Amino acid sequence: MIAKEKLKDYANKLMFDMKDEEYTTLQEEFDIILKQMDLIGNIPNISSVDPMTFPFKLEEASLREDEVGDYLTVSEVLENSHHQVNDQVKVPKVVGEGE
Amino acid sequence: MYKVVIGLEVHCELETKSKNFSSAPNEFTEAHNINVATVDLGLPGILPIANKEAVRKALYTSMALHCDLPDEIIFDRKNYYYADLPKGYQITQNTKPVGLNGYLDVIVNGKVKRVTLHDIHLEEDTASLEHYPKYSLIDYNRSGVPLLEIVTNPCIESADEAVAYLEDLRDVFLYLGVSEAKSNYGQMRCDVNISLMKDTDTELGTKVEMKNINAFNNVRAAIEYEIKRQSELLDKGEKVIQETRRIAEDGKTYSMREKVDAVDYKYFVEPNIPSTPVTNELISELKSELPMLKGDRYLRYIEEFKISEYDAGVLSKTRSIADYFEEVLSYGADLNLSVNFVTTSILSTLNKLEISIDELFITPKMLSDVIKLVSENKLSMDAAKKLLYEAIDKKTDPIELVKKEGMGQINDEDTLLKLIQSIMDENLEVVRQYVEDGNMSAVNFFVGQTMKKSNRQANPNISRELISKELERRKENAK
Amino acid sequence: MYRGKNIQELREELDKKETIPEELFDKANRLAHYFQDDYNSFVTIIDKFKYKDRDSKLNGIPYALKDNFSTSGILTTASSNILKDYVPVYDATVFKKLKSAGAVLVGKTVLDELAMGGTGTTGHTGIVRNPWDKERMIGGSSAGSASAVALGIVPFSIGSDTGDSVRKPASHGGLVGFKPTYGRISRYGLFAFASSLDHVAMFTRNVMDCAIVTDVLKGKDINDMTTLNDDGKCYVDLVDKDIKGKKLFYIKEICGKDTYKDVDDKELRETITKFHEMLDKLREEGFIIEEVSMDKALLEAIYPTYMCISCAEATSNNSNLTGIQFGPRGEGNSVEEIMFDARTKGFSELIKRRFILGSYILQRENQEKLFLNAGRVRRMIVDKMNEFFKEYDGMIAPCSGGPASKFDSTSEKLSDRYLILENHLAIGNFGGFPSITLPFAMINDLPVGVNITGRVREDDLVLNMANYVEKVTGLKDIYSKVGDIDV
Repeated sequence: MIAKEKLKDYANKLMFDMKDEEYTTLQEEFDIILKQMDLIGNIPNISSVDPMTFPFKLEEASLREDEVGDYLTVSEVLENSHHQVNDQVKVPKVVGEGE
Repeated sequence: MYKVVIGLEVHCELETKSKNFSSAPNEFTEAHNINVATVDLGLPGILPIANKEAVRKALYTSMALHCDLPDEIIFDRKNYYYADLPKGYQITQNTKPVGLNGYLDVIVNGKVKRVTLHDIHLEEDTASLEHYPKYSLIDYNRSGVPLLEIVTNPCIESADEAVAYLEDLRDVFLYLGVSEAKSNYGQMRCDVNISLMKDTDTELGTKVEMKNINAFNNVRAAIEYEIKRQSELLDKGEKVIQETRRIAEDGKTYSMREKVDAVDYKYFVEPNIPSTPVTNELISELKSELPMLKGDRYLRYIEEFKISEYDAGVLSKTRSIADYFEEVLSYGADLNLSVNFVTTSILSTLNKLEISIDELFITPKMLSDVIKLVSENKLSMDAAKKLLYEAIDKKTDPIELVKKEGMGQINDEDTLLKLIQSIMDENLEVVRQYVEDGNMSAVNFFVGQTMKKSNRQANPNISRELISKELERRKENAK
Repeated sequence: MYRGKNIQELREELDKKETIPEELFDKANRLAHYFQDDYNSFVTIIDKFKYKDRDSKLNGIPYALKDNFSTSGILTTASSNILKDYVPVYDATVFKKLKSAGAVLVGKTVLDELAMGGTGTTGHTGIVRNPWDKERMIGGSSAGSASAVALGIVPFSIGSDTGDSVRKPASHGGLVGFKPTYGRISRYGLFAFASSLDHVAMFTRNVMDCAIVTDVLKGKDINDMTTLNDDGKCYVDLVDKDIKGKKLFYIKEICGKDTYKDVDDKELRETITKFHEMLDKLREEGFIIEEVSMDKALLEAIYPTYMCISCAEATSNNSNLTGIQFGPRGEGNSVEEIMFDARTKGFSELIKRRFILGSYILQRENQEKLFLNAGRVRRMIVDKMNEFFKEYDGMIAPCSGGPASKFDSTSEKLSDRYLILENHLAIGNFGGFPSITLPFAMINDLPVGVNITGRVREDDLVLNMANYVEKVTGLKDIYSKVGDIDV
C-alpha cells in the first residue's frame, strides 16, 4: 500500500491538499486501481507496440500559416482575473524564478 | 588548478508574425496585455495551433548547426506550476526535438573550438513578471512567443569560450534571419551550468546552475566568479552545493535555492497537435536557402583569399556585408581593392548615414565597376571614393556620372605614372626612337596617349613632366 | 403541444408558420424551470430569448448545451466550484455554429464535475435524476444534457464523450446519442478532460435528427488542428440508403448468447436475450451479423487503460485552474499559496483523487509501466478493431447490462462481472470511431440502448445503419412523460 505521506506529497505537488480521511479513501482506491492496472501489464507481447497518442493518423494534418488572426482585447484578457493594476494581473510578490 | 566544465542552454525568441501556438501578434511592445489570444491565457477549452514558420525556422537553424533532423514534428507537455505559466504546462519538445547532435565551430583566441550540441527544441515563452516591493504583475504578451532552446553538451572550458560561442551563435541567428536576438529585449537568454573537476577526476563535479542571464558580459562575470568561488571551496576541501544561483549587479553570484531533488515534469506527447511529416521537399528547400555561416566564411577569406584576420573578421561578421563583398568579387573586381573599398568607404558610409547595406544606393555591381576603373588606372583611389560619394548623393550610377561628367582630373602622380608606364610598355618602338634617336616628338605622342587612355582625365602638365622624367630614366637605364 | 416534439416536427411547424421561435423558446424555458427542482438538468436556464433568423434546418429550434462548452457572456462552470463564477470571453466553435444556424440556447446543463465521472452525481449544483425513474441515475458525465432531452424539454442537446459520457446516458435515457469520428466536430471551446479521447457528441430522440445536427456541427476548424477536412457529404441525405448486405459483428466476450448464462442477474439476462432477438430481426432486414471473438485480457484492460490515459491527460489539462487568470482567487501570501488554496477549495475529493492518480501514472518511474503501456494496449485494441473492420462495416453491442442503476447500488457494477460489458464503449474513444447509441428494448419499463460503432470517417454509414436499427426496434421519439405540465 502506498504510504499516506507519499500521497500527500503527490497532492501538494499538484497544488492542493485533502483531509486526512480522504487520504485514507485514496489509499484504498489506489490499491484497487493499481491491481486493475496490472491487467495492462499482463497483456502478452506488449513491449514491441508503439504507444498510441492520437486516435488515428491524421494524414491531412497541417501547420498554421504564420499570420495574425483573432486575439483578445485588454479588457477581455483581464476580465476574469479580478485583481488588476496598470493593465496587468496582480498577484502576491513572486520570489525566485520560473523554469 | 581545476578543469572547468560548462554547459550552456540558450533561449532565443524566433521572429515570426504570430505566436507559436496562437495567432496573436508576436512583437515586442511596451503596452501591457495587448497581444494575447485565448490560447496564450490558458483559458478553459483552448487548443494550440502550431505555427508553420516557427517550425520552419527551427528546422533551418538545426540544419545550419549540423543537427540530425526528426522525421516528424511533434510536441510534448512539460508540466509545472508557476505564475508565468498560465496553462500549467509548457508546450515543448522532448520526444523528438527539431535537432539532435549538432555543433558550432567557434574561433576562440585564433583557434577553432568545436562546441557540440546536445539538442535544439522548439517551445513557447512564458508570460513576463514585473516585480514591485509588495506584489508582482503579470503581462501575457510574451506568453506563447516561439522560443528555440539550444543545449550544448558540457564541453565548454572557459569564460572566453562561452562568450565566443554566444557571440557566434547570435551571429548564426542573425545570419539565418531567424531572430533579432537582442539580449536587451530578452530575445536571447542564457542558462549556465558550471562545475569544476580535478584533472585526475573521471566524473563531473557538482553542478551549479545560473538562469536567465541576458548580457554576454554578465555570462563572463558569472562564470569567472563561479570558477573563483568553487576553486576556493575545493581548495579548502569543502563541497560545492548543487544549487541555482543568480548573478547580481556587483558581478557576484548568490544562492537562490538548493536543488533538493530533480523536478519531475511528467512529460507526455501533446495530444492536440497531430504529427506532421518533415518531408524531403522541405529539407531540400531549406538546404538550398542555407547560407555559408560566419565561421566558414572567415576561414575561407583567410585561407583561400589570403585576407588578413582582421579584415576577414570585419567582412564576415554580418551576413549582408559578407554577401555584398562576395557579390562584388563575383563581378570580377580585384580582391585587394574590393577588401579595401568594402572595409573602408562602404562601412564608413553605412556608419555615417546610419543605414544598413541593403539600403545603400551603391550596388555590388556599381562598386565592382568603379573598382575596375581603379585597377585599369583610369581612376585614382581618391577619385573613386569621391565618385562613390557623389553617386550616393545624386542617386546616380557612378558609371553614368563618369560618362556624363568625365572622371575629373587625375593629379595623383603614382596613378599617372602607372598609367604612363603601361602605355610606354605597349609602345616600345616609340620609346626606342626617343632613347636611341633623340626623337623629341615621342613626348607629345605619350601625352596624347595618356590623355586618350585616361578619358582626358589626366592632368596634362603633370603628365608631360612625368613622361619626360620617365623617358629620361629609361634612356639612363639603356646606357 | 411542444413537449417531446423532434427537430423535424418543429421544423415543419415553424416553416408552416404554426409557431414562431420565441414561442418554442418560452415553452422550453417553462419546461426547464418546471423540472429543475426534481431533475436538476441545468446549471443555468436562459430566460432571455436571443435569436437570429437563419436559413438552416435548426433555425429557431431550442437546444441545451453541456456546461463545459465556452459561451461568451454566459456562465460556464463545468459543474465545478473552481469555475463557479467563470464567464468566458469567447465562444466554442460548436456554440458559434449553432448560433449561426439559428438554434436557440435554452440552458447550460449539469455534468459530472469537469466531465470526469459516469454517474451525474458529482456536479457542484447537485445530482441529476433519470426522467424514467427518479430513484435512478441517468449516467454521465453529460447527465443534464441527457435528462433535458429525455424529459422532452428540448429536441436535442450537446454533450461531450470521453469514455461513454454521451452514449451511456443515452442508453439510460432512451435517447439517441452520437459521437462522430474524432475530429469531425471541432473541440475548440470544449473544456478538455482527456484531449486524445474527448469528442463533441449529441443527444436527440431519433437518428435523422442526429444527422441534422451533425450536418450543422461538422467541419474543419482553424482553431482545432485535429479536425478532419470536410467530407462534403450531407448526412441527412444518406440516412435512408439501403443497408442490404451490410455486415455487423458482435464480440462474444461482450455479449455472446451464453456469456452470462451463469450470472444471477435477471436484467442482464433479459438484456442479452432481447439483444439477440433484435439481431435476428436485423438479419431479416438484410444485415449480415456474425459473432467474433477477441482476447478477453485485452477487453478487461479497456477500463484500466481508459483510466490511465484519461486521468493522466486530465491532470495536465486542468493545471490551468489556479484562480490566477480566472476563477475564484484563493487566499494566501504567495502565488503558490493562492493557487493551493483555490485548488484545495475548488475541486471535490473525487476530482483530487483522479488528479493524484493521473499524476502518479505520469511520474517518471511509473510512466513506462502505466502511461506508455496503456498507450500500447490502446493501440492493440484499436488495431484489432480495424482488423474486424476490414471485413465488417460495424460492431454492435448492448451499451450496458441493463437499465440505469439506482443511486444506492454503488459499486456493484464495477465488479469484475461487469468490467467488460459496462466499459466497452471506450473503444470508440480509443480509436476515434464514429459510434451511436439508440434505444432497443424496454426492461421493467426502462429503456436500454444498443450501440453501433463503425470505421473512422464513415459517420454517414453509422447513421445509416442506426436508422435501420431504429426502424426495426420501433423505439423512436420516446421520452418520459412524467410531470403534470401541458405545453
